[in-house]
Amino acid sequence: MICAGIDAGSRTIKVVLLDADTRKVVAKAVTDQGVEQDKLAQKLFQKLLKSGGICRKDVAGIVATGYGRNAVAIADTTITEITCHAVGVRHLVPDAMTVIDIGGEDSKLIRLDKSGRVRDFAMNDRCAAGTGRFLEIVARRLGVDIHLLGELSAKSRNPAAISSMCAVFAETEIIGLLASGTAREDIIAGVQAAIASRVTALAGRNIDLPLVFTGGVAMVSGMETALESVLGAGVIVSPDPQMTGALGAAILACDRK
Amino acid sequence: MTEFPRQISLQEWDRRYEQLHEAGLDEPSYGGPISRHIEDGDTRLLKLLYDNSAAVLRLWNFLLTEEDRLHKARAEGRKLVGAMKDLGTIPVMAYSFDNLTAFYPDGAWWIPCLMELNSGLLSVADKLGIDESFCPVRAMLGAFVTGVHFPIPELLICSVGATCDDFSAIAQRLNSLGYAILWWEIPHRRRPEPDEPGVNLPGGFSAPKSQVEFVKSELLRVKTALEELAGERLADEKLSAGIKRANLVRAYLAELRRLVFTAALCPLPALEMLVAEMLAIHFCSDQNEAIMVLKGLLDEATARIKKGTGFLSPDAARIFWVNPVADLQVMNLLEQCGGRICGTEYLFTHALDAILQDIPPTEALAQMALADPMAGSSADRAARICADIRTFGAEALVISRIPGASHCALEGQVIGEIVRDKLDIPVVELEIPPLTDSIRPMLRTRLEALVETVRERRKK
Repeated sequence: MICAGIDAGSRTIKVVLLDADTRKVVAKAVTDQGVEQDKLAQKLFQKLLKSGGICRKDVAGIVATGYGRNAVAIADTTITEITCHAVGVRHLVPDAMTVIDIGGEDSKLIRLDKSGRVRDFAMNDRCAAGTGRFLEIVARRLGVDIHLLGELSAKSRNPAAISSMCAVFAETEIIGLLASGTAREDIIAGVQAAIASRVTALAGRNIDLPLVFTGGVAMVSGMETALESVLGAGVIVSPDPQMTGALGAAILACDRK
Repeated sequence: MTEFPRQISLQEWDRRYEQLHEAGLDEPSYGGPISRHIEDGDTRLLKLLYDNSAAVLRLWNFLLTEEDRLHKARAEGRKLVGAMKDLGTIPVMAYSFDNLTAFYPDGAWWIPCLMELNSGLLSVADKLGIDESFCPVRAMLGAFVTGVHFPIPELLICSVGATCDDFSAIAQRLNSLGYAILWWEIPHRRRPEPDEPGVNLPGGFSAPKSQVEFVKSELLRVKTALEELAGERLADEKLSAGIKRANLVRAYLAELRRLVFTAALCPLPALEMLVAEMLAIHFCSDQNEAIMVLKGLLDEATARIKKGTGFLSPDAARIFWVNPVADLQVMNLLEQCGGRICGTEYLFTHALDAILQDIPPTEALAQMALADPMAGSSADRAARICADIRTFGAEALVISRIPGASHCALEGQVIGEIVRDKLDIPVVELEIPPLTDSIRPMLRTRLEALVETVRERRKK
């Protein structure tokens, strides 16, 4: 039996097909998000079925998650990304106690109990300054491919202090830093540290380890190091971090059967 | 007339109203269909879901006709008192006089929501330098300047000191515009030192006797001003009688809260409970009618519980809610996400506890005023919240922030951490502006995630 998880995120849609018996991923795919979320999700889902030679009737259940979850008409049910990320991470890292998920438009911190259930969560709701969107703005402003940010920030010797709590004003700060001759790598390191500080602040005083870093931003090099530096502790990057929410949704779809 | 409990839209209420009317509904003078208030510009009403009982019809009509009542009171020669910020103390004193009507100008904070930002009040406040970095209660400033939403009272009284900083700033700005204000000070409540005489306050708090004496002296100053306005001396017996009436309101509310928050099936929705709780602080400008409205709600809730009827699924997540919401629609949203309210702390728990009747009345009011959750530390608030969560059996806590409110920036983390440590239940903070339409998906995600978390935790 196969079940599907569809994570209709703010920037991308992810689909995972999971074998319910072996709990192994049969197929997975990602596409950019757009206006017609439902059509995009269906198209990606159909494409995945076709590429895997799977019939629609073989898919016993579909759970949708992510901000666009309610727009995915083919889903049997919807579950929030908080629950799905927790389940996905725990599947991949069974002793995980804390999850940091930084996506395109938000970030969240999820605390788990010993059995893997969500104990508590916190999300940023003020600004894009703690999200992937901020990294995109910075990369564009600096004329750097987003995937090279980590390579450059590793060369920083004197990370710039980014004081602003707002992505828009932070961009203004970056313009000022560039004008004053600050090196690109120092600006990037400063921005990554600012994002890490903002996200870890969601935790308050206590963070239980192991901490797993997931979401699309976990694929951006340098962010893991920035988080470790702010936390003063090791961070595990979730395997295939962009797919964790969809994986969790697929697992939950299997559990419901 | 009683129908199976349901939440219905305003349009459905029009049909329901006709049914009730045909069945011989006995309405007060301010009765009528709820939809008539749309003519006042309260367009948010079109988007809310309402309980379908006659008791709730009366509640909404009572709430939405307060301005008419104030004008009528003035026309009848009664003097109007604007009680600001203390949330529950001065109106008890004012309603002890025969010819005074007190109201809370602060209540204007819901006008931007009800009128969906079309009231213009916030832009008036903006122009006076009180911009969106302040709490939405700045709408009150606009209401005073425009004079549209309530008549300007003969006497304005405002508590200051250990109160909300924004409110003090807004009231000072009002003062600077020429509106005379009688200020009275509420000190920051502290526990007595070991060698200092102390007083146990309602709500489980304590304070040095010297602080109670100080507040008493402040209240005596207020009492003198009220006596001058009323042209009558307020004897202790009369103030005691006023306290007794206020306690009747509080007793009805206490019982209503107990019934609704602990019932197996929710007998009254969160939105109407929020409105009902507000009656404790301002009586909606008619103390006796407030008692009747609350009695009606209590009768309805009791009848529903007896019949085993109510709203929402029996497995709805039991949520304790801290701070009132600037957008009333969020109360509906919580229920749509699978939650129900089982306990609240809307910043005025001191107005819900009975005022002592076996001590001199001014002393009793001073003790009650000092038990104001805003007058003490966030840790004190958290202790009371933990106690109430246990009482009502809530499974999660929502701390709802009011944008711009200075206390919200400081209290959430303290309350959240104490509740997590003591009770090990999930805590979520949300920021609720006067209109949440554009952030509804985000709010929905958080509330749904909270409900999912609660349900998952039940699986031991």
